[in-house]
Amino acid sequence: MLFENGIVNLTNWLGNVILPTLSGLFFAIAIIRFVGPGQHQNWMYAGFLCLMASGILRALEVFSSQQAWDDPDLYWRSLMNLVNWTCNVAMPLYGVLQIVVGVMAFSGIGHRIYHGGSWMRHFMAAAGCFMLSGIVRLAEWFVQQGAGGVSY
Amino acid sequence: MATPQILADITRLLLQVLPAMALVSLVLAGISLRLEGGSTFLIGGSFTKWILWGIIMVTLPQLLLWFSFFGLPVPSATGAIGTSWLAGIQNDVSTFVNTFVIARLTIVLAAFFVVRAVLDATQGNQPLGSVLTAMFLLAIPTTANLLSSFQTGTRFAAVDVLDGLWNYLAGRIMPAAAGLAVVGAIFSFATHRPAMRLIAAALAFLTVSALWRLVQQMM
Repeated sequence: MLFENGIVNLTNWLGNVILPTLSGLFFAIAIIRFVGPGQHQNWMYAGFLCLMASGILRALEVFSSQQAWDDPDLYWRSLMNLVNWTCNVAMPLYGVLQIVVGVMAFSGIGHRIYHGGSWMRHFMAAAGCFMLSGIVRLAEWFVQQGAGGVSY
Repeated sequence: MATPQILADITRLLLQVLPAMALVSLVLAGISLRLEGGSTFLIGGSFTKWILWGIIMVTLPQLLLWFSFFGLPVPSATGAIGTSWLAGIQNDVSTFVNTFVIARLTIVLAAFFVVRAVLDATQGNQPLGSVLTAMFLLAIPTTANLLSSFQTGTRFAAVDVLDGLWNYLAGRIMPAAAGLAVVGAIFSFATHRPAMRLIAAALAFLTVSALWRLVQQMM
């Protein structure tokens, strides 16, 4: 029994067994909070992140392995790689998402869901409840599309 | 004048029970690890003190080479203990430590730390410290072998073991800890607690050797 094996297996168990299982719970909480006045986006993102624990670690490993292991600038370069990836890959995607949200809000859909028509929000929450397994499977499918990881 | 047989045998006895005492030091280090947090430890605290004692016990025969280096005669500690009752003490102590303390008591201690992990979670604290302590206790025999494998047999053996331990920590344990940090960051994000410091820590865990070079470059 090696201490190192223990930590590696504990990390694997948490990241590849427990977090993906909790993902479904977090999506369920997101739907419940969507009905009420509470903030729900955080739980939805947490559900996605639970499915991406291995991917996030692999991304950090890629960010931190672009220089030699004993390069004094390695931490700085790793941080810069992280910032580069966030600004040039993640933020444009987030920008596209915000445009979609903006168009939906302009067309009145957001208004009906969040403020004006609570009946629409309840119907959407009901649909979410009925489709919860499908939502988790869809999230898993999205995550699987990125299995290739971050490349430099 | 020749060293009396009884004194030579007492010296051999003390040196030959050192591996068993090193195991006991590691058990005490494991308990101290939980007292100091479990997932972290104090520099200069009980954990580092017991680890250092474990290393000293593993490398004491090599540390005695310093006396030879200084020109002082050191009686040979190798070979069997000639006095039968002293040999019996050595055998009994080693058997007691290996079969009672390490093979049974430490396992039970580790099991208690798993219970403690559940109780930690019940109280709203992090269970990770107790889980890591349980793993440390279960891994004591292999950790002792690891310490022995790092020693070079020279009079610098104690420092060589510390050096090897640092390399092992930076090269093997820290990358695994980076995964735990990512998992912790996701948990923190889900429960509305600060998560960015854990991502920064994960990057640092993956680049410990480079951070060491960075500090050296700054000097």
